[in-house]
Amino acid sequence: MLLSMYIELHSRSAFSFLEGASLPESLVAACANLNMPAIALLDRDGVYGSPRFHMAAKKARIKAHIGAEVTCEYFSPQRRSATEQITNHKSKDSSVSLCLCGGFRLPLLVSSRLGYQNLCRLITKMKLRAAKGEGTVREEELREHAAGVICLTGDDDGPLALALTHGGMEEARGCVEKLIGIFGRDNVYVELQRHFHREQEERNHAAIEIARSLQIPLLATNGVSYATARERELCDVFTALRHHRTLATAGRLLARNSERYLKSPQEMQTLFADLPEAIANTVELSSRLAFTFKDLGYEFPKYPVPEGETMISFMRERTGEGFQQRYGRSASELQSRARCQIERELKLIEELDLAGYFLIVWDLVRFCREENILVQGRGSAANSAVCYSLGITAVDAVSMELLFERFLSEERGEWPDIDLDLPSGDQRERVIQYLYKRYGERGAAMTANVITYRSRMASREMGKALGFDPETLDKVSAAVSTWEYRDANDTLDHRFRYAGLDLNHPRLRKYFELCVAVQDLPRHLGQHSGGMVICQGQLDSVVPLEPASMPGRVVVQWDKEDCADLGIIKVDLLGLGMMAVLEDSLQLIHNHHGEEVDLAHLPPDDPTVYSTLQKADTIGMFQIESRAQMSCLPRLRPKCFYDIVVQVAIIRPGPIVGQMVNPYLRRRMGREPVNHLHPSLEPVLGRTLGVPLFQEQLLRIAMVAANFTGGEAEELRRAMGFKRSQARMKDIEARLRSGMESNGISREAQEQIILSITSFALYGFPESHAASFALIAYASAYLKCHYLAAFTAALLNNQPMGFYRPATIVKDAQRHGLKVLPIDVMKSEWQCTLGQSALSNQHSASPVALRLGLRYARGLREEAAKALVQQRNLAPFTSIRDLVHRVPELRKDELNTLAEIGALNEIGNSPRRHGDTEKTKNLNKEFVPTAKSATENSKPEITSVPSCLPGEFVFHRRDALWQVERAVRHSGPLLDELPEPDTNSPLRPMNSEERLVADFRGTGMTVGPHPMAYHRARMQAMGIHKASDLSHIPDGQYLRIGGCVICRQRPGTAKGFVFLSIEDETGVANAIVMPDLFQKNRLLLSSAQFLMVEGILQNQDNVISVKAERVLPLSITRAETNSHDFY
Amino acid sequence: MPFACIFVPDFPVEALLRAEPALRSQSLAVLEGRAPLQKVFVVNENARRAGMNPGMSRLQIEPCAGLVLRARSLPQEAAAHAALLDCAQSFSPRVEAHGCDTILLDLAGLQPLFGPLPKIARALARRASDLGLEASVAVAGNPDTAALAARGFLGVTVISEGKEAKQLGSLPVEVLFANSTQESGQLLETFSRWGIRKLRDLAALPDVALSERLGQAGIHLQKLARGATSRTLVPFEPPLIFEEVIELEYPLVLLEPLAFLLGRLLEQLCARLEARALATQELRLSLELQNGYQNDESAELALDLDGRGRPSPHNLFRRTLRIPVPLLDSRTFLKLLQLDLKAHPPGAPIVKIQLAAEPVRPRTAQNGLFLPPSPEPEKLELTLARIAGIVGEDKVGSFELLDTHRPEGFRMQRFVPSEPFSPRRHGGTEKNDLHFSGPMSSLNFSVPPCLRGGFSSDSSDDLVTALRIFRPPVEVAVTLQDGKPASINCPKNKEMHGEILWAAGPWRSSGDWWEQEGWARDEWDIAVQGEAGIALYRLVRDRLGGRWILEGTYD
Repeated sequence: MLLSMYIELHSRSAFSFLEGASLPESLVAACANLNMPAIALLDRDGVYGSPRFHMAAKKARIKAHIGAEVTCEYFSPQRRSATEQITNHKSKDSSVSLCLCGGFRLPLLVSSRLGYQNLCRLITKMKLRAAKGEGTVREEELREHAAGVICLTGDDDGPLALALTHGGMEEARGCVEKLIGIFGRDNVYVELQRHFHREQEERNHAAIEIARSLQIPLLATNGVSYATARERELCDVFTALRHHRTLATAGRLLARNSERYLKSPQEMQTLFADLPEAIANTVELSSRLAFTFKDLGYEFPKYPVPEGETMISFMRERTGEGFQQRYGRSASELQSRARCQIERELKLIEELDLAGYFLIVWDLVRFCREENILVQGRGSAANSAVCYSLGITAVDAVSMELLFERFLSEERGEWPDIDLDLPSGDQRERVIQYLYKRYGERGAAMTANVITYRSRMASREMGKALGFDPETLDKVSAAVSTWEYRDANDTLDHRFRYAGLDLNHPRLRKYFELCVAVQDLPRHLGQHSGGMVICQGQLDSVVPLEPASMPGRVVVQWDKEDCADLGIIKVDLLGLGMMAVLEDSLQLIHNHHGEEVDLAHLPPDDPTVYSTLQKADTIGMFQIESRAQMSCLPRLRPKCFYDIVVQVAIIRPGPIVGQMVNPYLRRRMGREPVNHLHPSLEPVLGRTLGVPLFQEQLLRIAMVAANFTGGEAEELRRAMGFKRSQARMKDIEARLRSGMESNGISREAQEQIILSITSFALYGFPESHAASFALIAYASAYLKCHYLAAFTAALLNNQPMGFYRPATIVKDAQRHGLKVLPIDVMKSEWQCTLGQSALSNQHSASPVALRLGLRYARGLREEAAKALVQQRNLAPFTSIRDLVHRVPELRKDELNTLAEIGALNEIGNSPRRHGDTEKTKNLNKEFVPTAKSATENSKPEITSVPSCLPGEFVFHRRDALWQVERAVRHSGPLLDELPEPDTNSPLRPMNSEERLVADFRGTGMTVGPHPMAYHRARMQAMGIHKASDLSHIPDGQYLRIGGCVICRQRPGTAKGFVFLSIEDETGVANAIVMPDLFQKNRLLLSSAQFLMVEGILQNQDNVISVKAERVLPLSITRAETNSHDFY
Repeated sequence: MPFACIFVPDFPVEALLRAEPALRSQSLAVLEGRAPLQKVFVVNENARRAGMNPGMSRLQIEPCAGLVLRARSLPQEAAAHAALLDCAQSFSPRVEAHGCDTILLDLAGLQPLFGPLPKIARALARRASDLGLEASVAVAGNPDTAALAARGFLGVTVISEGKEAKQLGSLPVEVLFANSTQESGQLLETFSRWGIRKLRDLAALPDVALSERLGQAGIHLQKLARGATSRTLVPFEPPLIFEEVIELEYPLVLLEPLAFLLGRLLEQLCARLEARALATQELRLSLELQNGYQNDESAELALDLDGRGRPSPHNLFRRTLRIPVPLLDSRTFLKLLQLDLKAHPPGAPIVKIQLAAEPVRPRTAQNGLFLPPSPEPEKLELTLARIAGIVGEDKVGSFELLDTHRPEGFRMQRFVPSEPFSPRRHGGTEKNDLHFSGPMSSLNFSVPPCLRGGFSSDSSDDLVTALRIFRPPVEVAVTLQDGKPASINCPKNKEMHGEILWAAGPWRSSGDWWEQEGWARDEWDIAVQGEAGIALYRLVRDRLGGRWILEGTYD
């Protein structure tokens, strides 16, 4: 029976990036269908798909052989002579064969762990020395890493084919002899493939002759590139894309036929009926390939401890020190509980031998503290009291009664997951570099991120392959809907029709089929934003490493899920924009207020913070600023820290789809009795009023109600978050039901529990994670309430981030009394800075004013801006010509932008120019009342507003534009040295509308009055209410609101409803658009900048919105305001 | 010196309205681009008022009620432009064409003939209207001012001398930039930043300061805005046309007398070309047929447009002769025309003969002294024309191999004598060459050694087996045994019949799956015992159609 079996030992998956057309899982599934007991995956220059291949094969009870097709180097004459020296040194008869003179693909299979390690090192060497996709392996490297590796002679790109083409039989024989010399006689197989090609058969004749003459075995393979013959089409498309051609122009680069699919043993036996030994050898070779990923040999590094200490004893000491710090002043009851918990955790950590891991993370945190880098652990680590004591997390798991099993469980046999939040940007980079430095270049690496084909990329690339012109491609990609919510009609099919593409046309039909077929196939490898893997030995013997696009970084060939599947421990170093904002804010507070704010010791119950949160005045605050969060805050009315934890967790797709939000809020407001589903669940759900909101609660429910063990509960969590496994969920659901049945839980309660658990599959927060985020949210709220200027400046300096555009953040800060000054080349730095307000305290709530940084001048390059600041620090600019002369880095377009936004006005108004400081001072005095009237009254008309903003009363923006045009023109050496003053121009100053247009075009915002302010009288006449008035209007009234659309949202969970945030000079109003109204006004609602919305005011528990019944465009300004649309 | 300018706003729309004047009262949008990605190119006033603008997509405007959509027609625009020129030239001999939609004309000395300037302007507008074009006409003391006024003001405008700046002042600066170039875009942006919206704003800027900022370009624009430029017209020169016509007193029926007349015309044309040291590569023969005769071919040809874009009348029979090298030999031309007319007879009595030659520079190349002589182009052309007359035009020429796996993937190109022949590199057999390499032995057939190609040890004895392709291929009936061909039978050719002694294959190929004409086939190399001995064939099965054919035989 075995003799008639066939095993495919040469197949590639889509992880050969554009050379294979099936996922590893599809290959395994096809293999299982054909009753093949094993299959080998040989992807190009890597083992990218192997973890998925291994996992799928494990599930299908198929043996997964690992290998790779390795690109070997072309030996140039110089290189050849160098190699000859080496080889001559080793063996006299060795001469570099011509076969190695061409770049070829050598199929290698690993037979043992040593072989796997050799393969990984071989690929790593090749990858790390060359640009992406260009590396080749050298002959001496093959010799060095030949142990445990079995070599095939390859197919069309293999060494034998190449040698035959270039040098005929003799050369080919020499080539095989060379391979025997490298890998050993027992480890070379002459590969035969039959795809019904004349040339291939001719090659097979030669190969058989060589194999027989050298007495080495033949091996039949099918060089599989796809699971089924149908996928040949996709493979052809990939070939065209790889060669930057279209299908029509790819010609003979495309496959000659569709024979590279996974053939059944019977088919292969028929094909090789004349060579039964070639089939039999596949089984023999398969039995020799003992290596699987079970035997990966990964080891986490040990932490070096002082002599006489073990890692666990060292860790106990550090935890003890931390305990004193964290719990030293706590109540004795909490202390004893904490001591108990810590002891329990330490015992488990010792049992699982994880002390090294904790110490390494502790060391990272220590490094951050020493370097003044803000750091906070999150994720499941926050469930651990040990992590809290070690300073890794900031959440007290004991007092918050968090579930430790969620973090670590004896049964799971999995590594714990610790995520560290760091300020995004340079600080995070420093921590990453510290890890590299400490564990060596081959000891630490980033995890990969596999970029897969999604609608947009699929439609673009498939179109490209079919030869669509760029315009059509643009049209089709644009037609791919970008809204998060997709209604029933919003299928790919529908989008094609919407783009005017008729699917009855055969070519378009084919295009559509290809787009569907390519979905989710990997396109290329990216770098994960923060996941790092560390290894005790050499990481390159566990997984091949590749250079990342960022210099000095290396990345492993697997993504984080693959790493987790194979039990490789990782530390996530995540860059969080808000951490950077907090860090920058502290620095600004220190510099301008002379105060030191310690985030770890903020007043826990600051009344201003809670009253602000209750009013949903949260623009710019971490995690609680979105429209959905704002609509929940007035109902939840947070009063303590735990309320913020709930607030962060409740507005998530999980609780929303699980219909948990409204019951929780109703119960909180006492409008609904608290019901715990079952009395046994009261301890679990008590804190959240009987409504499960956190992952831990669901795991506990499973443990309490359905008798799950901690490990089973963890399996449930993995199934919930594991998008690849719907079947796993079903299996667990059955177990849940039977467990609940045996505990006598009613059917109704069972349904509710199942609904809660399955909705979390869509994503819900773990409590520990929510608590970590809540800490940051609280800190951001505290800083915004008490240090508005510093917080706003930090927020603006870390854009893009968060929910709102800078224009909205600035307007919000201004409404809260912050004076925001425009960009000024005489004062602005690259970043936004703080300074004393030009106005006295009586006119401004804050004595500190924010000066916009040059980074907000659109198109201005950082190096030019920095050169400008450097020159200005040497001496102030005396004229625009002086600026142009001294900062040659500035381009004309940059100067024009600066002039247009008024950033050059101050040069024209500088005392040096006038030669009369007093005059300028007087002029400044004259200006103050004007500014006051503009800001205090807040309703100037477009005609009545003075044509000048601060600093523009003498030398205005158009004067600057006029001078710039002159200054950038070279007048020749004779006139170049002639000083020229900034005279007034013949141009008339900009009016308010022109300034608005210029501001938005040049900076994306205005620091002057809101565009709506100029039109308030007209708006009033039209019956349009201000946003600030809405809270005084009774519920149910039919009214109109109007303003600038700052945010449009069509969330996936909202059944097609569209939410608009509409800003005017007094604040932000919300409008809700029903799906049918949206369909009728799709274009208007998606693109209009200013809208008037007519409808019924809804004021439910101070959550105010207008249910739109009619929408109309408002003609306010030509300025290009921007909304933040969520896709 | 007075000048006039005729300007047709929304010219592509007007060009279409000439043929369909009834659409003038409706909203009309002219689209450009290929379906379904057409975009609005120009709209008429009605459509503009309804909110449509150039650049919008067809999808955006399609739902608008009462909107008429038309594709842009370059031939109709060319015809409209020619009509505009005719209109101007009917008033003045000195005419300058300024783009398709603008014509300038010198009115000096015309007042005694046509009356005062306003009257001439009105007459021009009326004449344009008669030609189906609603134009704005302006008269001014210099051509640029007239052009600006015509572009800026609707109807008839007369700019009085000395009042140019005042009258032009209210026009937007955009009128200065008739053609959008990168430079004009930058200047417009600068003006926009400066708040310069009207010509009067630009005119008021100080000259020196403006020149310091925008250079001579700025000064020129300012002069234009002030109506203070002066220049002479660049008169429109009609292209060199070599055309001869004979109108016959009685209809010609036979080709022989036609050849006599054609010979005369050709001699005249060649003499004219020679006088200008020119030759020709293209002769256009146009024969007017009696009684509005129309056959299929002429109808098809009538769709072709002549150089001016005017549609041809339906009773015209037209042939165009293109020659790869410039020639100037009337006898060769005559012979070529005769051969062509013999292959494509007009089919009706001829009443008028028109023959035009497209002038080109004559051939100057001379072959090297030691190179083997190649055929004279004239003789080669005649020979090719004779062959084409026998086998068909698409079957003569040199073939070009296509980069495809599709068998016989080639196309015919016109034969052009190439550079001296360079011998092919040794062993450089092209992949797509029709040669046989080696059959698959897995099917347990013995293969005659003469058919073995490939990687034999003694490579000096490489044998290439030639395949003679059957044209057309021979359809055969095939009996299968175990999925392999066992015998063939060709009813039309008794020699192609018998048991298959051995077969190698299948050699499988397929491709063009993304096209409607996808293909998939299996090839077998077979040996058949015939009466005359063993014959080797290539047997092919079309896997999509299921047909079996013999594609060729191996030598």
